[in-house]
Formats: sequence, structure tokens, C-alpha cells
Amino acid sequence: MVARVAGVFDEKLTEAIANSKILVVGAGGIGCEILKNLVLTGFPYIEIIDLDTIDVSNLNRQFLFHKEHVGKSKAQVAKDSALSFNPSVNIIAHHDSVISNDYGVNYFKQFNMVMNALDNRVARNHVNRMCLAANIPLIETGTAGYAGQVELIQKGQTQCYECQPKAPQKSFPGCTIRNTPSEPIHCIVWAKHLFNQLFGEEDPDQDVSPDTADPEAAGDAGASALRTEGTEAGNVERKSTRAWASETNYDPEKLFSKLFGDDIRYLLSMENLWKKRRPPTPLTWNNLPGKGNPTAQHSGLPDQRVWSMHECAQVFGDSCKALQADLKNRPEGDHLVWDKDEKSAMDFVTACANIRAHIFNIPLKSRFEIKSMAGNIIPAIATANAIVAGLAVLRAQNLLKGETRACTSVYLRPKVNHRGQLFVPEKTLTAPNPKCYVCASKPEVALACNLKQLTLKDLNAAFKDGLNMQAPDAVVEGKGLVVLSSEPGETDHNNEKTLEEIGLNDGSALVVDDFLQNYEVRVILQQKDEEKSWRLVTDPDIPMPGPKEEKPANGSNGADEPKPGPSCSKEDSDSDMEIIEEDDTGEPAPKPPKRRKVGMNNEIVDLC
Amino acid sequence: MVENNGVELSEAEAEQYDRQIRLWGLESQKRIRSSKVLIIGLSGLGAEIAKNIILSGVKSVCLLDNEKLKETDLHSQFLAPSDKIGENRAETSLQRARALNPMVEVTAETKAVEALPDSYFGTFDVVCATGLKQEQLERINNICRDKTNKFLCGDVWGMFGYMFADLFDHEYSEEIVQHKAVKRGPDDSEKNARETVTINVKRRAIYVPLQNALSADWTKPELRSRLRRGDPSYFVMKILLRFRDEYNRNPDPAKRKSDTEILLRMRDELVKELNLPVGFVSDAILTDVFGIVAGAAAVVGGVIGQEVVKAVSQREPPHNNMFFFNPVKCVGFVELYGQ
Repeated sequence: MVARVAGVFDEKLTEAIANSKILVVGAGGIGCEILKNLVLTGFPYIEIIDLDTIDVSNLNRQFLFHKEHVGKSKAQVAKDSALSFNPSVNIIAHHDSVISNDYGVNYFKQFNMVMNALDNRVARNHVNRMCLAANIPLIETGTAGYAGQVELIQKGQTQCYECQPKAPQKSFPGCTIRNTPSEPIHCIVWAKHLFNQLFGEEDPDQDVSPDTADPEAAGDAGASALRTEGTEAGNVERKSTRAWASETNYDPEKLFSKLFGDDIRYLLSMENLWKKRRPPTPLTWNNLPGKGNPTAQHSGLPDQRVWSMHECAQVFGDSCKALQADLKNRPEGDHLVWDKDEKSAMDFVTACANIRAHIFNIPLKSRFEIKSMAGNIIPAIATANAIVAGLAVLRAQNLLKGETRACTSVYLRPKVNHRGQLFVPEKTLTAPNPKCYVCASKPEVALACNLKQLTLKDLNAAFKDGLNMQAPDAVVEGKGLVVLSSEPGETDHNNEKTLEEIGLNDGSALVVDDFLQNYEVRVILQQKDEEKSWRLVTDPDIPMPGPKEEKPANGSNGADEPKPGPSCSKEDSDSDMEIIEEDDTGEPAPKPPKRRKVGMNNEIVDLC
Repeated sequence: MVENNGVELSEAEAEQYDRQIRLWGLESQKRIRSSKVLIIGLSGLGAEIAKNIILSGVKSVCLLDNEKLKETDLHSQFLAPSDKIGENRAETSLQRARALNPMVEVTAETKAVEALPDSYFGTFDVVCATGLKQEQLERINNICRDKTNKFLCGDVWGMFGYMFADLFDHEYSEEIVQHKAVKRGPDDSEKNARETVTINVKRRAIYVPLQNALSADWTKPELRSRLRRGDPSYFVMKILLRFRDEYNRNPDPAKRKSDTEILLRMRDELVKELNLPVGFVSDAILTDVFGIVAGAAAVVGGVIGQEVVKAVSQREPPHNNMFFFNPVKCVGFVELYGQ
């Protein structure tokens, strides 16, 4: 097409396009636009991968999809639609996860470049490593709302996706969630934990009952007295919430009385907590505010109306019953997965979050707002995606012409800067971080932990969550002792042993590698008595990710990204953004564009 | 201008537009939903603009074009099927345009701009013109002014593009995020939760017509000082508009050599006329102005589409009054001309 029309491009570019093979990862908002641009420009061979299926909320921007495609494979439908623009192009669609043994380094090596149009950090990390290992250029893109960016990642010449540690995660201490919420998001996180306790995958770190180990409550005679009583009275606190709910047959009134009555009274008994805070007010099922009140006049969307306590309790009851029925219909041992697009699941979280908010005198939110925060929805529009994808393909053309040094990062700003610029290019490529634990020639990172407490199972989690590995193997440097193996079962018998027990000490080095990512890193252990879990350290001044990167929270600033990882497909899978710049004041910022690694917002629930 | 006629959004609309309502709010979406847009010129740029506007969920879009689909259109025009060469560009684009969003009423008009009376252009809330000569643009701009309707125009030549907007007297609201400390308890001294508060500020912007912007006086010191920024985009646009006016077409990829000569000659004339530094408008930037490159059409069409959304939703500050995309540096910027 254009590339083949003499006179549009110079001969060099025309030829480079004609001989190119491009891999597009992601067929969402940006992916659809990139695919269209490539096909129209005449790129002859394109492969596109996406594991997702089409949802109605995609249709405002993912223009290769129409209503009749809802539920179908994004990659496949994108291919079919794009082929109608130029039937002579060869497109291969993969309805699949890019994180798979099927797409190894040799698979990546067959392409001239990879264009990322992803929505989550885990996949971005993975593709970053695959492109570094295959030594092929990667064009990385993202948008959030009006903002977006395009950047080139080229081994040895630019920063890689992981050169700059991501900003620290927004974290909420477990005791804030369980004992002393002060913001709507605390109640929403609690409500999602409650969902999992009752219907989802039980996670001991997502306990929703009062946390008696709260250091603030220490020395609280009243609480300890009451705790003893509680134990004698049947140990309600120690029994799993699920088991208890099941025994009561998920009776809404009983659940309500425990969660929003008894548990709150228990919290009140921890008097130290309320010396400087406004104490919560327990609620009674039969006497809720808003009963009998007519629904107030409301002009917005039905979902934008804030429910009364009485309505919340009704919705709580109805959704409990619906979710219980759903759970019952599943095979023994199966559980529900919270999904913002499942009506009952969303109703349940809205009702519970608001009831808890009311109890703690925190402003209530509408279902619409809670959906954004709980589902981590990033607003997305057609135009920003179109602009970013257009810039990405123009950058791809630069690259094919051999103009790598000209391929600087470009930022689409939500508003023009002080120089009137809406698209702001960097002046030069950003050099790699020599200490990067991914792209340095000899990657190295320190792991601070308490060797007396950290188990091999925890260590495995640290490599997966902290170093973004898929299947780590770890060997003690110089000794050849295998401490972790990616072969199923091979090192499982050591899972519960601490690092000290298997003979590791302060300063011990592990060689950790991930076969699929073709990635190896030297990990030096640092003994830290006070460390409760683990923490990665590259530069003592830069905060690094810690454990338990939980589901994302607080989508209100649009800077958030869905939780990466397999469970992420259930999160908001159609946002396309990693980084944005935010002008709090709405005034043009008098500084150059600054790459801001937004901390993907994953809240961490610390145990306190 | 665009009245929010008070009709509530249907459940289907709320679902489909969810991700953008979360960005610009329900009121904006209602205003968008009641607006009528005319898109003139169904080149690759026109197709991009049409796509973005139809996806946003306006009331109606009319595609106006009297030209026939050419093979070169297919390199950027994805609304017209490739087997419809020789047919009217607007009409052949209808089917795919409608499929983008069945909730929007999409029609085609195949008459030439000259054949349509002034009153025709006054029936739209926004007119968005591409591919026209300066005289045609000014005529339509002035009709829109009389009706106090919004006018935008733009073009993409090769990888280069521009946009001009005349929103006349435009009122809009701008969202400003403020942080404030909140006290929760009666004696909550230890930690005040910080809450972000969004407030809406009403603002107003006054625009000038296209002829003012295109006849900017470069002898004036305030304009002269802009030369220090070193970006020749305004002049590149002037050269390409003159080329179109004079030859009744755009530079043709098939005549790349001879057309480049013409462009360079026109460049030299303009440099002399406006007393610009020699070499200010480089030869290089005039070599990438043939055909319409898909990536550039997406970029400029994205900007124009967003400006139409801002104009009809009266939300967020619209660009006043010219936007340029300079592909050499990959920079996109806004400058005010003619005021």
C-alpha cells in the first residue's frame, strides 16, 4: 500500500517496510489502532497476540470490534477487521498469553521489532526481557485518559522497561483496613477481602475481623479481657469467616450483625484506638437509616446515586444470597473470583464498603465510583489511543530507516505545556541504568530479609513478585546447591525451611534464572532482623517493590494500572497505560516532561 | 450552543461509553450525544476524524465529499472498501462508518462544497473541513461565525499536519484538582487525611476567523520572536495551502520530483515575502509531504477528533487556535495566530 506507492516514502524505507516482520502484543485500544496503521502503511507481515475477549466497554475505542463481536477473541477479530483494509497483508492472530513457552526467545528473534500495546506490568516486564534476550527493538506504548507515551527500548542504547524501579506501591497497613479505616478506599479494600473470605479464594492475609495485634491497641486491658471472653464464647474470631457463614447458611441478618455489629463493638472495646479518633457506630439490621424514605430525586446515571443504609442492607442481603447460590452450583472446593463486571459481586462490594464507611463516618460513594476504585478502571478514549498508536508507527518507520537515535520517547500530554507542546519528545535517548537488575551486563540485586524467618516458599514468591520471574531456578553461587527449581515438585520438600536452615547467611549469593525469559540475576542476601518479609535493594535510596503487591486500588487519578498477573484478566483489562503525568493544578507545568513511573497503585497490605 | 436536552442516557449507552464517561463525565456525554457534526473531505484524515467522532457518540455525522475514491486513498482511508475505487468517497465510507457505532446517525452528501448553499452549513453544530482550498475554508468559516457554530479545519500532507479551530465565543468548564486536608475526628491531630477535591471552573475563550490566522503579520515583533523557536510548521502549511490553491490538487507522489521543485520555489518566495531567515524552512521537511501517511493521519485525526469532543462537550480548554504536527522532531504544538 503506501509503502509500495512510489514517492510517498524514500526507497530505503519502502524496502525496509516491504521486508519487515512485526509483532504486536495486545489488541486493545492501542493495539487496534497500531494494527490499522501498520496494515494501511503496507507492513506485509504482522503477528498479533492477545489473550482477552471483547467486552461492550471496549467498543468506545477499540474500533475493529463491534457489538456482534462481544465475547470473541480480540486478536482474531482484530485480524479479520484489519484484513478488510488491506487483504494482501499477512496477519497471524494468537488468542493466547504472551507469557508462554510457545513464545520463547527464538520466536521473538524472527521479528524486526515488537510493538507493545499492553495493559499490565507483568506482561510488559516479560516482553521487555524477551526483547532484551532476543536483542530486538521494542516500542512500548501506553495511555490513560487524555495522556499517553511512546518509547523505544533497545538493548544497550536505551533504558529498558525495568531500569527505573517503579514508585513504591500505595500501601494500606492491615490494621487500617481491619480496625481503623479513614477513607472510602479502606472500606472498599475491606469489602473485597470480605468477598474473598466468604466466596472467593481464602487468603489469611485478607482477614476482615478486628486485628487484636494492632500495636496501637497494645496494653489495652479492655480488649484483652474481651478477647478472652470471645474465646470462651466459641472462638468466633478464630474460626474461618467462610466456615461460620456457611454454618449460618449465609443468613444476611446474622452476617450483618456479626460484621457490622459485633465486630464493631469489639473494635470499640480496643479503647486505645479511639482516643484520638472518632469511634465507629455499630449498626443493627432492624434499625437502619433510610428505611421508608422515598428515593431522592437523582439526575445522573442510576449507578451514580448513593444508596441509603437501608438500601445497602437490602443489596447486601440479595447479593449474599445470589453469590451463595453461585458458589453452591460449583464443584466442591471451587470458589468465586471477584469481578467488577459481575453484578452480584459488584453489588456486594458496594453495599459492604458503604455500610462500613457509614459506621466509621466516612463519606459514602456511588456504585459507579466504587466500581472505578475497586475495579481499578482507567478511563480510556479513542483519540488518545489513536494519537499514541500513530506516533508508535511513525517511530517504527524511523527505526526501520535505521534512525534509532532519533527514536526518543514522546509524551502525549493531557494539556499543552508552557511551550505550547501537546506531544513532547525527549531530546535524546535515555541511557540504560548500569545498575539495572534486568538489562545490566551482569545483573545483580540485593534481597533484604530475615534469614531466620524467610522460607524457601517465600523466596520463590520474592523472585516471582519482586523480580517478575515466571519460573525461577536458584542455585547457591560457587556451591551448585539447587535451592529452588522450576521443575514441579523438585524442591517442594524444602518449602517450609528457612534460608538459615538450608545454610544460607548474610552475604550469600544466589544465581537465579528464568529459562523462559532467558534472564539470569545474581541475588545477594542481606540479613535484616527487623525485616518481616523481604525487600529488594538496588540503590539504598530508591524504594523497591516489596512483597504482597495486592490488587490495585484507588483508580481515581487515572494513573493506575490493573494488577498484573494471571488474575489480572479479571481486572480491568482494557486500560492501556503505564505512566502518566498529572497536572494537579491544571496549569502548564514549567518543567520538561518527566518520566513518572506511577506506582501502578498496587496497595500492599502490611501485617502489623 | 449544543444543548443538553435533558434526555437520560440509555443503559446501552452508559455501558458502551462507560470508560469515557469516567473521564469527561455524564453531562459532557449528554452534550456530545445531542450534537450534529459535518465532516468535509473523506481522505485518510477525514476517515480518522469520522471514526473518532462517531465512536464518541454524537447524535449525527454527515460525511460530505464529491470526490471519487482513488487507489492512493486506500493507504490511509480505512472506511472505504478497496473494491470501490471510482465511487464517491463519502458514500462508500457509509457502511463501515455506521458499523463503528450504530447509535450514531451517519449520512453522506455527495455534492461539491460550492454547490451547497450557505444555509446548509449552518445546520450543524460543528463543521470540520479537510482537503479544501483556502477560499472554500474561509467561506464556510464565515458561515459558521454568522451562526455562532464551531468551525475546525485541518490537513495531512505526507507526515506533516495542521489543525485550525474557530470556536467563536466559547464557554467551557475546566476541571481543577485540589488537595485539601480533612479532619475526621474531633481530636484527630495525629494524621489528617488528604483528600483530592475536584472543582469545575467556568472559562471563556475568544477565537478569530481563519483569514486572520492565515494572514498573520510576521513583521510584528511578537510574531517575529517566535522564529527563535525554530519551527517552520506554520510556513510549511502556508506553502502547501498555496500549492493546493494554485494547482487545484495536493503534491502527488507520482510527480515527486517536479512537485518538490515547485514546493521549493514556493518556499523561496514565501521566505522572501515574509523576510524569513534563509534555511528556516528546510528542504527536508518538504520531502515528506506526499500522499497521506497512515500514522500521521491517525495523529492529526486524533487531535482534531478530541477538539471536536471538547467543543461540543464544552469541557476542558480547547486549543486556540492552531495545532501543528512536525514529524521531523515528532513534536505537536499549539500556537495562537491572527490575534
